[in-house]
This record gives sequence, structure tokens and C-alpha cells, in this order.
Amino acid sequence: MKMNEGWTDVTFNGRDPVYLQVVRHFKEQLATGRLEAGQIIPSRRELGAMLKINPNTAQKAYKEMEEQQLIITEGNSPSRITLDDDLLRSIRSELISDAVDAFVVSVRKIDVPVEELLDIVKQKYLESNETERQVQEGGDQA
Amino acid sequence: MIEVVDIHKRYRGRSVLNGASFTVEKGQITCLIGINGAGKSTILKAIMGLTPLKSGTIRIDGQPMDKNLYESIAFIPDHLTMPPGMKLSEGLRFMQDFYQSWNANRAEELMKFFSLDQTERIGNLSKGTAAKFNLVLGLAQDTEYVLMDEPFSGIDMFSRGLIAEVFSSHLIEDRGVLLTTHEIGEVEHLIDRALLMKDGSICRDFQCEQIRSEEGKSIVDVMREVYQS
Repeated sequence: MKMNEGWTDVTFNGRDPVYLQVVRHFKEQLATGRLEAGQIIPSRRELGAMLKINPNTAQKAYKEMEEQQLIITEGNSPSRITLDDDLLRSIRSELISDAVDAFVVSVRKIDVPVEELLDIVKQKYLESNETERQVQEGGDQA
Repeated sequence: MIEVVDIHKRYRGRSVLNGASFTVEKGQITCLIGINGAGKSTILKAIMGLTPLKSGTIRIDGQPMDKNLYESIAFIPDHLTMPPGMKLSEGLRFMQDFYQSWNANRAEELMKFFSLDQTERIGNLSKGTAAKFNLVLGLAQDTEYVLMDEPFSGIDMFSRGLIAEVFSSHLIEDRGVLLTTHEIGEVEHLIDRALLMKDGSICRDFQCEQIRSEEGKSIVDVMREVYQS
């Protein structure tokens, strides 16, 4: 993986703590396989520069991930992603469950029968996959 | 640490600073926010000893400001103050002769980073390019503190990004930075601490991550509370 890939286009919102948004970004990268178990991650300073955030914030994000045992820092060697497979698997389920929870809360108010809802979700999801594929192909040709 | 304690200033019968107090810590980026004419620039000038105060104290690492402290605190005003006839290279030379804290390697690095041409004359620079050169002059000094007055004002969006990049680099790390702005956009995710000015004093002083996690508010939310009520 090139270091810059998937790192330069991160946009932050103003209301959630930036360090937690950084942690979330790491989890997304892990869930989609762009970061792998045991992989060396950028230094705090490199991360700060890539994401255009304050090095103090990068430091805080790494501390949080160390506490969640998502990354491991031993002595002076660079930090790495954990090798704990169970933990890594749980991240994926955590992200999915968070996203679905948020969706359920907002769709609940409309009171749609679950079968109808599932059909719509399926259709929209396939459509969005298709669009993404076309965009990527278009990008390859250019 | 820069300590500003209860400073007052009147100008032409109008009260400009009215009991402003705050501190600037090393290793943090502190942002002084306020609408136009709130007295932000006056505070920076007061810290540098460039404008007289009616009352109040300013200390830098426990010392009152004196000429030796200009080696440990750099000021980047909102416009370039170098003679327009000089070439950029001569401007750099001028700073080197003037300040012991001048770091020529860092100046070189910054000139490259901003793609500035040393042979250009200062008077011929566009506003945005002049602002970049102004930053070079301030940041190339090896100082403990840097004060910047509106570093983003009048600069195009790509150059703003470039300047924002400087803030997250080793050029700023470990220093105490105090900058002023009236538009928070570019720096919202860069700054550690925000000071909101109103009526010549500091009415809110908070750590940005703390206000996000404890109250779920963005800096702009807090600004709205202060300036629209």
C-alpha cells in the first residue's frame, strides 16, 4: 500500500472530536482491507501532515488506538496494526452495526414494512455499487 | 508560556482592549478569534511591545518583554514590511544579519515549499505570494513562539491549503503559536485552543477537542453563541 492512498481525501466534521474521527478512519481502512494486520502505520508527524491536522491531535488518536489495542507501539520502533484477528474482525462488525443502527433510527420514523424496506435497501445498494464500478472504469480509461 | 494579564488600551477616546487576559502554551496552536475591529491585531502588537498599553502585564516565560526576547518570539504581521526594492534573496540576507535566531536552512526549505523565486523583487510580488514570503521570514527564525496576524487573509484556496500544511509540519511542532483570524474555516481542525474576543476582552477560552467531546459543539457553534446573542 502506498502511504498516501486513502489518506489525503479525509474530510472531518466540526462537531465530533477530530482524534475520534481519525480513529474511525483507521477502523474503516482496516475493515476494507486497505490496512492489514501487523502493518506499519505512519508516524504521528507523518499522519499529521497527511491529514492536515495538528500533531497533538494525531498523538491523541494514536493514544486512543493504543488503549483500544488496535495498534501496538514497542519501544522506539514504529507503531503497527495489531495481529489480534478477533479484534480486527470485531471492528468490521462494530462499523457495520453502527451504520445500521443509525439507519434504523432514521427510517423507523417512517414506519415502512420490513420486506419493502429490505427490497429498497437491496436495490439502492446494488445501484450504488454499479455507479462506483462505472466511475472506476471511467477513471481507468482516462 | 506567554501570559497576558488584564491589559487595557484606549485609542482616540475609544476602549480597544478592556481587560483581556489569556495564556499561550508552548507546543500548542492557539487561535484568537474575533470579528473585524475586535482588537486582535492590537493584542499581538502589545505582546511584541509595539504599542503602549494603559495598564496590564505581559510576560514571556516569566520575563517582561525586552529587546533580547525578539530572538525567542517571531511576529508575522498581516502585511510584508520589507523594502519593496529588495530581491527576495536580499530580504533573507537582511533577516540573517538582523536575527541570531535566523535558520538559513529552514529559510531555504520554506522558499522551496512555497515555490518562491529568490530573484524576484519584493515590490513585484502578488498579494498571495507576498503573504507566503512573509511566512518564510517569520517561520525561518528558530524561536520558541510565533505570532501570526491573519495568515490566511486574501490568499487563494490552494495557497491556503499550503499554509495549512505548514501548521501540521515540523516547522510548527513544539513551538507556541498564536494566530488571529476572523474566518475559522481553514484552521478549524488544526488549532488546539480557541480564544474568542468580544468588546476588548476574551469572553470564551477553550480547548477545541474538549468542547467537541463534552458538548458536541464545533468552534463555529460556540462563535454563534457569542457573536449572535
